Amino acid sequence: MARRLLLLSGGIMKNLLARYAEGMDRFSVFIGQGCSILFFACIAISAAEVVMRYGFDAPTVWSTETAMTLCAAAWVLSVGFVTERNRHISITMLELVVGERIWRIFRLAQLVIAFGAVLVLTMALWKPAMKVLSRTEYSGTAFNSIQPTIFKVLIVVGCVLYLAQLIANIIRWFQRTEKASSSGH
Amino acid sequence: MGIEIITLLIVLALLALMAVGVPLGVTTLTVSLATAILYFGERAGFFIVAANVSEVLHKYELIAVPFFVFMANVLERSGIAKSLFDSMAIMGGRFRGSVGVQTCIVAVVLAAMSGIMGGEIVMLGLIALPQMLRLGYDKHLSIGIICAAGALATLIPPSVVLIIYGLAAQVSITKLFAASAVPGLILASLYIVYILVRVRLNPSLAPIYDIPETGLPFLQRLKFMKGVILPAILIGAVLGVIYSGIATVTEAAAIGAVGALVVAALRGELNWRMARDAMRQTVLTVGSIIWLVLGAVSLIGIYNRIGGGEFLRGLLTGLDVAPLTVIIVMMLIVMVLGTFLEWIAIIFITVPIFAPVVIDLGFDPVWFGVLFAMNIQIYYLSPPFGPACFFLKSVAPKGIELQDIFVAVLPFIALQALGLFLVLFIPELALWLPSMLD
Amino acid sequence: ETLNIQTSFNAGDFSTQYLTESWLPKIKEMTDGRIEIVLTPNGSVVPARETPEAVAAGVLDGDFTSVNYFAGLEPAYAIMGDLISGYDTPEQMIGFCKDGGGEAMMQKAADSVTGGEVQVVACGPYSREALPARTPIRSFEELAGKKIRSPEGLAAAVFQAAGASPVSIPFSEVFGALEKGIVDAADASAYVNNDATGLHDVAPYPLYPGIHSMPSMQFTINKENWEAMSAEDQTALKTWWYDAMYAMAAEVTKLDKELAARDAAAGKIEVIDWPQESRDKLREVAREQWQEYATKSELAQEALDANIKYMTEIGLFKN
Ligand code: NA
Ligand code: NA
Repeated sequence: MARRLLLLSGGIMKNLLARYAEGMDRFSVFIGQGCSILFFACIAISAAEVVMRYGFDAPTVWSTETAMTLCAAAWVLSVGFVTERNRHISITMLELVVGERIWRIFRLAQLVIAFGAVLVLTMALWKPAMKVLSRTEYSGTAFNSIQPTIFKVLIVVGCVLYLAQLIANIIRWFQRTEKASSSGH
Repeated sequence: MGIEIITLLIVLALLALMAVGVPLGVTTLTVSLATAILYFGERAGFFIVAANVSEVLHKYELIAVPFFVFMANVLERSGIAKSLFDSMAIMGGRFRGSVGVQTCIVAVVLAAMSGIMGGEIVMLGLIALPQMLRLGYDKHLSIGIICAAGALATLIPPSVVLIIYGLAAQVSITKLFAASAVPGLILASLYIVYILVRVRLNPSLAPIYDIPETGLPFLQRLKFMKGVILPAILIGAVLGVIYSGIATVTEAAAIGAVGALVVAALRGELNWRMARDAMRQTVLTVGSIIWLVLGAVSLIGIYNRIGGGEFLRGLLTGLDVAPLTVIIVMMLIVMVLGTFLEWIAIIFITVPIFAPVVIDLGFDPVWFGVLFAMNIQIYYLSPPFGPACFFLKSVAPKGIELQDIFVAVLPFIALQALGLFLVLFIPELALWLPSMLD
Repeated sequence: ETLNIQTSFNAGDFSTQYLTESWLPKIKEMTDGRIEIVLTPNGSVVPARETPEAVAAGVLDGDFTSVNYFAGLEPAYAIMGDLISGYDTPEQMIGFCKDGGGEAMMQKAADSVTGGEVQVVACGPYSREALPARTPIRSFEELAGKKIRSPEGLAAAVFQAAGASPVSIPFSEVFGALEKGIVDAADASAYVNNDATGLHDVAPYPLYPGIHSMPSMQFTINKENWEAMSAEDQTALKTWWYDAMYAMAAEVTKLDKELAARDAAAGKIEVIDWPQESRDKLREVAREQWQEYATKSELAQEALDANIKYMTEIGLFKN
């Protein structure tokens, strides 16, 4: 009886984890594809600045910083999408040398090391992010936007997305439901 | 612990993590975090990494990368790239290797548009690589051409590498630009000669595009130029806005992205779905790049702080040899650093040390700047930290692994070294053009 | 003890070389070898904007930074860092730091952005920046309609108030932007540095002596390190720094003048020196912008009041 309960609860746990992985994947893809809009806006703003300055002799003070901020946001927030698709660049030379079984262990090591490194990075970035939240940091430029504040918070959010997606990938490793790396198109 | 040992440990740790297949951004990040915390303790260690990592987002130059990637994605998805290369193949006729040569020439033109290497490599990787493979070109030869020719963006002016060198060494940027033009063309010529020799020795590397049009007389082939015309207008427009002073290089990249959409629209190939997919692909491609830069930049800060620069200065001043040998040793050091550090790091570490020595020895710092930029070309390609290879890998078709790329670039590294030594022993190659300016 | 100090100078700058060759050996002498300083260039350890935190955390033992970089942290730094079109000579402004309460003001700013772990040892500028231009701007009136690269808030506000259009492009694009005419003029650096990087090749109408910018530096030491030093060494550091800045200011002015005279004689470059009348007009316009800027924080207002008090004392203002 106790044994069956244990198995049952194990099954539920497994199911929950699988659903987390599924849900996280979808969330990462949603956010990542949403970043397209930010890049479109970034291109539009940069091109518009040229028209404003050259065409109308009216350079703006906001275009550079706004374009950079949009671009950086897209760049950082797409990390879940990139991780879900296994698009981080790495050297896979040893895969052929060590064989499939050992490479599978290497893959877990890759995920765990990435998780550890990003976790420590998040801890390192945490304090600066909290600091700018309590005392806003401005760019000090003519536009004087809150760009530095946005960046310091943004990168923590990016790291958290990265970690959350790494957990999903690790779950998939244990449940043997990993997706093939989708390099290229 | 001495800095020699720490340097060695850093290199070994990087190599070990890379070998296991840890993503490269995470590799450099892990090593820099570990070094920072072991060396400075938690508070200072965390701070130094956090400060440098956040700073990456402030690098304005980087925003040209998504623009170029998007432009390339649009050109590729809309079929513009395919008709460009079809036209090029037909124009080249039965001349073996013509598409490889034409790709080199296109790369030189693109290099005059772009000051950074990443954008051009991904652009060629997206447009040229699938087309060359489709036309039956050898995988390794095609990859090598794209990495090597694409890297010319920072040797042929404008070039961010030369600008940063100029600022670090206080050398005239006008002169650096003038001096680097000829060496850039020399490298491009070396690549072209190499392609022609290889395909002559082994014709299977570059098959003739076997359709009837290819065999037509030259004048009749001219009418197949039409695939070239729209891309040529696009490139001309981007070059035009840069050289006429309408836009900065980064803004011109944005104009190019809009222009690519316009060209696709003119061909009746523009639709929301295509633009959206091109952008989603862009997100995936550039998304991986930022983590790479981020890790590398954080490693630099640490290495500088623990005395990496001092260490190298010591290595140099310990030498007792002929002046030109000192220059050669400097070049070798840059080459070695180039296998595992980022170029900005290399400039920050070496230029402050090298530049005064170069002047003391009686050499021209402009010439040295050109040698330096040529060496950075090698750095882009050389494994294991070869950014050109990473950039290409991020867009390469399925089945092309990083190790394929590393093998493919080796002969081109040899050509780059050859070019470097040409300019090293014949400084006039670099210096005659700037001397016209005085 | 060896102090690791990050500067905001670039590695190849005249100032870096001058300090390294002529002045670093002197501090060792002055303290009988107890204190040695290693200067690392801009951004080599942490980005310039982060140096106060870095000194506080002990990543750096101190900084030697143009405080304009911290304007986004605390608006007072913009006032203290570069009072656009304010002082006439670097010596005047060093005087403000040394004798006019500038140091204390800088310490207050440092305490407001860190947890009080940073000791301001000294502060002041060493050069008045020239303004390289590709078209002649001969007077205050001719500023109207010119596109001028000026990313900093206060400078942009002053140029705007004078009728120009400030353009904010990143530093790495300045050279190209001047060459191609995207901007008419750009705030860059001292005449000697602009000469070295070839800016005058593309912008042959430099305004010298400059009309706008005189960036002020600070010299700080981590508080713990500072308190561990003897009073004698503390005084030595302060004296050494001011001596170095006065000497460097004199040297840069001399070099700037020589180069400007050489270029004016050669005829390829037209060095434009604004008439006093134009300078006064710009200062009047600038003063309104300072006042406006100072409303951004209490500390900024305090910094401006201190500056104006000192400027009035030395006769730059009548009231
Ligand atoms: Na270029
Ligand atoms: Na390399």
